[in-house]
Amino acid sequence: MTDRDSSMDLQESVRAALAGSAEPIAIAGSGSRSAFDLQPESASLDLRAHTGVIDYEPDELVLRVRAGTRLDTLRELLAAEGQQFAADIPAPATHSTIGGAVACGWDGPARAFSVSLRDTVLGCRMINGRGHTVNFGGQVMKNVAGYDCARLQVGAFGTLGVLLDVSLRVSPQPEVSVTRSFDVDTGDLSQWWQRTRALRPLISATCHCDGQLHLRLSGRAVAVEDAVALLGGEASAFDWAALRDLRQDFFHGDALACVYLPRGVSMPVERGTALLEWEGARIWVRGGDHGALQQAAAACGGFVQVLRGAPLPPQSAAADWHRRIKAAFDPSGVFNQRIFHERFVAGDRESCR
Amino acid sequence: MNTVLPEDLIPALQALIPEERLLTRREQIAPYECDALPVYCERPRVVVLAASEEDVVAVAKLCYRLKIPLVSRGAGTGLSAGAKPYRAGVLLVTAPMNRILSLDAPSMLARVEPGVINQQITAAAAAHGLYYAPDPSSQIACSIGGNVAENAGGVHCLKYGVTVHNVIALRLVTIEGEVLEIGGECLAQPGYDLLALVHGSEGCLGIVTQVTVKLLPLPARTRTLMADFGTVREAADAVSAIVRAGVVPAALEMMDQLAISATEAFCQAGYALDAAAILLIDLDGDPREVDQELALVEALLDRSGAWRTQRAGCEDQRQRWWKGRKSAFPAIGRLSPDYYCIDGTVPRRRIGDVLEAIEGFAEQHGLQVANVFHAGDGNLHPIIMFDAGETGALERVEKLAADILEYCIEVGGTITGEHGVGVEKINQMAVQFTDEEIGQFLALKEALDPPWLLNRGKLIPTLAHCREYRALRHRHD
Repeated sequence: MTDRDSSMDLQESVRAALAGSAEPIAIAGSGSRSAFDLQPESASLDLRAHTGVIDYEPDELVLRVRAGTRLDTLRELLAAEGQQFAADIPAPATHSTIGGAVACGWDGPARAFSVSLRDTVLGCRMINGRGHTVNFGGQVMKNVAGYDCARLQVGAFGTLGVLLDVSLRVSPQPEVSVTRSFDVDTGDLSQWWQRTRALRPLISATCHCDGQLHLRLSGRAVAVEDAVALLGGEASAFDWAALRDLRQDFFHGDALACVYLPRGVSMPVERGTALLEWEGARIWVRGGDHGALQQAAAACGGFVQVLRGAPLPPQSAAADWHRRIKAAFDPSGVFNQRIFHERFVAGDRESCR
Repeated sequence: MNTVLPEDLIPALQALIPEERLLTRREQIAPYECDALPVYCERPRVVVLAASEEDVVAVAKLCYRLKIPLVSRGAGTGLSAGAKPYRAGVLLVTAPMNRILSLDAPSMLARVEPGVINQQITAAAAAHGLYYAPDPSSQIACSIGGNVAENAGGVHCLKYGVTVHNVIALRLVTIEGEVLEIGGECLAQPGYDLLALVHGSEGCLGIVTQVTVKLLPLPARTRTLMADFGTVREAADAVSAIVRAGVVPAALEMMDQLAISATEAFCQAGYALDAAAILLIDLDGDPREVDQELALVEALLDRSGAWRTQRAGCEDQRQRWWKGRKSAFPAIGRLSPDYYCIDGTVPRRRIGDVLEAIEGFAEQHGLQVANVFHAGDGNLHPIIMFDAGETGALERVEKLAADILEYCIEVGGTITGEHGVGVEKINQMAVQFTDEEIGQFLALKEALDPPWLLNRGKLIPTLAHCREYRALRHRHD
């Protein structure tokens, strides 16, 4: 793995932009999530050359790594020690980086049964909008000194600063993972979710697509084998990594949106256009009418995230706090300003305080 | 900053809050002068007992208009003086807001008011086979609003996380009196992670008026192990060995000899009085997994040099072992006129080094320290025993506490894992963070509480304070 610390160069670039001698900054990693409508129009700060593991102590269950490091490389490193990321982190391409993953804050199929990416971020180092390199959080499991600025970067899409490195909690790999598949109609799913609940803590992922329900169980072999024997179904080679990384055919097409719903709430979907994860709490919809989808989701207490196709206006609650937080990190509005207005607070008529 | 005459405040409050929930007389106010760190005391101008979100909004708006400092407080079990009032200010108590608003078993969520006691959530959920995971030692007394403000942990957070990992939504009243809905019932949220920002913000950004917590299914099996060690270092190394072997225990706690003897005298938990350290370990989950890991952990303990490893034979014995651990603070309190509990977190592999260093520091200052802590998380709770009546004792205690916390920073840790900064650790913030980092915290505070009325001077020190403390430290070095 290439080990290269480019933080001084990156800080230089930020300072140049702040001094007005360069354009405002659009931050980019590998660009692998750009197929999903995230690429800034012209990336001006490339994090790909800022790579390498700063610290990895398997005993501590903590990994500290530079933002441009590839996720596949990190997965290999962890696997060699019998460990994995504690969260299920999507990597849309082989060259996807950890910085991009944190900036986007997406979670994979296991999220409903374990933790989210944001739950595993222990600390970060970043360049803020004053051109300062600052450290928040740390490499320990519990830390309440100061505001949790590290976790605040997860899903902030680089609008608060340039993420230099991140410390993440990792976890032991399960001894085994087994998938069983069943023919299940959409109408019968809510009954199935009662069954999957009884499979906790072994159940680690669910996916329903094209009339097939796939269940993954993970844990100690002795427990998983017993549970599988009781569960029945067909042995299956369902590719969970392809689902996690949005590489399945389902995800190709002109319009792709993701509906998040409260647990236990169901929303009618058309067969063939929807893929359900998280015991129905996340539904991927392709080729849908995003406006209508948003209305239906909101009526169920949920919301929609568009990955490709017709965008929706920002849905963040507390718009005023979003503006104030953005200004507190980035008073001159130098970082990913377009993304901020597209995803967090519409329009730039009202100036930041 | 307080340009309004105190006499304007009380009549304005009387117009908003019924008389019986407005405390102004000295004897009424006395119980609210401090939280569970009584070395920091102050008598507020007035105490308001909030009964509803409307009360909170009304008080926030009034304080905002009159520029009166405002401190909010739950049950007052905090250990860093975060709830210390201001002499000219309002102390807003949310403890009377203590209703469980809903408990939905299918979605595994409970919506509660901030004054609900932590353990009451678990008690209410038990009928549905569910429980609320974070369990601070004060869980029979601490309120969930305070848990959010401090991002409270507990003995089971190695596996189940701290408060922020177990709360899905909040309602928060800002200093302007606006009600924000933060988070939601979905497993993801659009926008910035405001939940993370509010957790552990120690009442500096707003007042929590409603909390939606996640509930977990009660584990099908829980087994408890106790291991006795001849040295603290061996016990610390055993902790790393267990984690390295791929086992994540639900709880992994350590007590040293002083803590063991104090606790044993207090509640006859059944601890070995001749051990230098004991580990208490909970394994929970699927019964087959628990049984396998139990055998694995026993073998690891044996290899790490444990003198003796016991399995709790019955639920009664298990409860007794845990009761001892959870009553360690009051038990030590019986041995010493006063005690002072610290809360640093260090990398797990440095626990042995840090415990040895603490012993050295304690000797230098002529004080005794008992250790009882969350070993699995590396979260230490050294308890300094002293007599506040003795001249200069408190100063020595504060110096020892500073030495310990600053050593935690030196080995790559932090000055607080779960008790918060409050007033108590404000100096050490200057050691853990640079001016640029403190500056970023201050910018956030300025943005979200522009008049600096909420817990001013706590959690984040001013830059001037940081420089002063660093200079003072430098002179002593």
